[in-house]
Amino acid sequence: MIDNIPYDRPVPGHRRAERRLAARVRTVAEAYALLAPSLAGFLLFLVAPIFGVAALSLFDWNLMGAPSFVGLDNYRELAADPEVWRAVLNTIYYVVLNIPAQTVLALLLALALNRRMRGGKALRVVFVLPWMAMPVALGIIWSWVFDPRYGVVNQVLGMVGIDGPNWLTDPAWAMPVIASVNVWQYTGYTMLILLAGLQAIPHTLYEAAAIDGTTPVQRFFTITLPLLRPSLFFVLVTNTIGSFQIFDTVFVMTQGGPGGATDVLNFHIYQQGFQLFRSGYASALAMVLFALILLVTAAQFLYFRKRTVYDFS
Amino acid sequence: MSRKIALSAVAVATLLSLAACGGADDEDSSGGTVTLRYALWDEVQKPPIEQSIREFEKAHPAIKVQIELNNWNDYWSKLQTQLAGRSAPDVFWDHVSYFPKFSKEGVLTDLAPLIAQDKVDTSIYDSKLAEGWKVDGKVYGLPKDWDTIGLFYSTKALKDAGLTPADLDGLTWNPDDGGTFVKTLQKLTVDENGKHPDEAGFDPKKVKQYGLAMQAPTGQQDWWNFALQNGCALQDKPWGRWTVDQPACVQAIQFVQDLRLKYHVAVPATVTNPPNGPSLDQVVGRGEAATAMDGSWMLRAFDTALPNGGFGVADLPAGPAGKGSVYNGLTEAVYAGTKHPKEAWELLKWLTSERHQKAVAQAGAVWPGITSLNDVFADAWKAKGVDVTGFKKAAEGTTMGYPLTEAADVYNVKALDIFNQVWLGQLSPQDAAQKITTEANAAIK
Repeated sequence: MIDNIPYDRPVPGHRRAERRLAARVRTVAEAYALLAPSLAGFLLFLVAPIFGVAALSLFDWNLMGAPSFVGLDNYRELAADPEVWRAVLNTIYYVVLNIPAQTVLALLLALALNRRMRGGKALRVVFVLPWMAMPVALGIIWSWVFDPRYGVVNQVLGMVGIDGPNWLTDPAWAMPVIASVNVWQYTGYTMLILLAGLQAIPHTLYEAAAIDGTTPVQRFFTITLPLLRPSLFFVLVTNTIGSFQIFDTVFVMTQGGPGGATDVLNFHIYQQGFQLFRSGYASALAMVLFALILLVTAAQFLYFRKRTVYDFS
Repeated sequence: MSRKIALSAVAVATLLSLAACGGADDEDSSGGTVTLRYALWDEVQKPPIEQSIREFEKAHPAIKVQIELNNWNDYWSKLQTQLAGRSAPDVFWDHVSYFPKFSKEGVLTDLAPLIAQDKVDTSIYDSKLAEGWKVDGKVYGLPKDWDTIGLFYSTKALKDAGLTPADLDGLTWNPDDGGTFVKTLQKLTVDENGKHPDEAGFDPKKVKQYGLAMQAPTGQQDWWNFALQNGCALQDKPWGRWTVDQPACVQAIQFVQDLRLKYHVAVPATVTNPPNGPSLDQVVGRGEAATAMDGSWMLRAFDTALPNGGFGVADLPAGPAGKGSVYNGLTEAVYAGTKHPKEAWELLKWLTSERHQKAVAQAGAVWPGITSLNDVFADAWKAKGVDVTGFKKAAEGTTMGYPLTEAADVYNVKALDIFNQVWLGQLSPQDAAQKITTEANAAIK
């Protein structure tokens, strides 16, 4: 809408300023009017609950009786709670399993699909399909796939003589399975963003580099990767945030088990809030998760700020 | 992010329904018919119940019943969230471990005036069951059923091992060498080379069939029974403090761990740990275990997995302190906030009537809450060639009820986590016992 500001014709000084101000006010008002619906949603469903949760974290409330103010007790308790630390470590473990695998896989796929080929468009759709499906439904289907007796995975392994493990009830395997399901689900989406980033890189750069006698590998590291940073930055930040919030796959596939092996922070929050009905304590945990994500995102911003080029011209 | 949606949806839904205080319109009532919601958690019992409810609907054309089925784990968090949101089902299964909390919070309808008004004869119910649900003259539910734990076995596995059902009678166990119980389970455990755990060259990593399968989210079907047989009390008194850290209890927990990790006669926890492990009827049904400790409510499931006389039920072994089984019963309860109290009471009367409980008993689903119908249940199984009277004998012998406590939520959630770890060998029975005792007691105000 900025482009629609009427072009200022030469008019006497103060009138010109007046008109310019009026135009700006109109533009701003217009912008806010257009933003209003999403802004209202944003305030009501995202900002307000954050403050609500922050306030609730200072109370003890079982949802039924009256809440009682306990100050910072919930935070003191969680700092000393070994299960919280286990949940934090489990969450980090999940992020570490998930993000690198997903990003590298998506990058390879994007590079492969970033060329003219038969069925390329159809393949793109296929890779993005899992991202459009319901995570809960997917979790149920993957539980069948990984069923130790009847699941496809162990049947295939059995054909080559490998006795497959009890994927979801073995503490060593449960988290890798959860992570792989999510890698599978979100790689297509990440690939899509990276593909768009790849296509924004001017061809002339590659042509010039080719004339200079560079190898494809050199071109990848000196042109593709640096110029892909804005896209990489975007997917890394949003996917990392999303990964820290992992819940549905765990809820459907393992319920935090076996023996707490997949008890990630968000599941722990659910358990405290909706199984033990300690909504104050759950809120305090949610604030911890919020702080953790904020910290990691800030670190990512700092790392990429100096290294990212947005302007290709 | 879509990952967040599930959680925030639950949160928002809860907050909204809290704010609305049950403001949701009930469209059905306007049309003259009332739709009642009836919540339960056992899929195995659902078909005969559903069938009987269709009859109820025929007799009451103005009432429709919608069954809401959620598994045990989800049932309680869902029900309690609904109670907090004032949108609970009109009639639901209630369990003694949640009863104290519910009666205190006033979410259950006191049935005493209704019973008096309609002159309902409550003497037909097992008094042991009915009494547990009365507080200060108020009646918060009528008995639905009762259950004890037994040793389910596969007749084929027994035969293959050269044993007869009589060989499972009179078994004993002890914390030192496992007793005849472990000896028998060793005979029923074979590795891929046909060796038993007490033989040289037995490979515990390549077991073809285990002697025993166990699975219990709370302990009801596994270590509580051994605890009782070892003279352990889970609490110092009803409504009292947890005493799981007592030596007799720790020994029982140790024994269950030993069955898996020391004697190698029980299916490993990586297979059976709840909530993801397959139910035990499946484990025994596909020949991975010869026997399983499970509740009488699982009879129909075992009958499906091992039809035509493929299974039988033996008594649990006796421990150092003798025989014993966990005994429990459920009630049908009416939500205090129901918008259709009259209709809900009609449904409850049906569910606790002789006609309904007889139909459910005839289908072999659960032992009925009405004493005179016990034979109907036993006969239904006798006709199928299964002798289930052991459950009844167990109920008449030494039993332990479900612990009565305000800390049911904490105990249930923590026990699932903690005992999963014990059975996997990640946590010692002593540490586990201390942990669950401390955490559950901390939740008692």
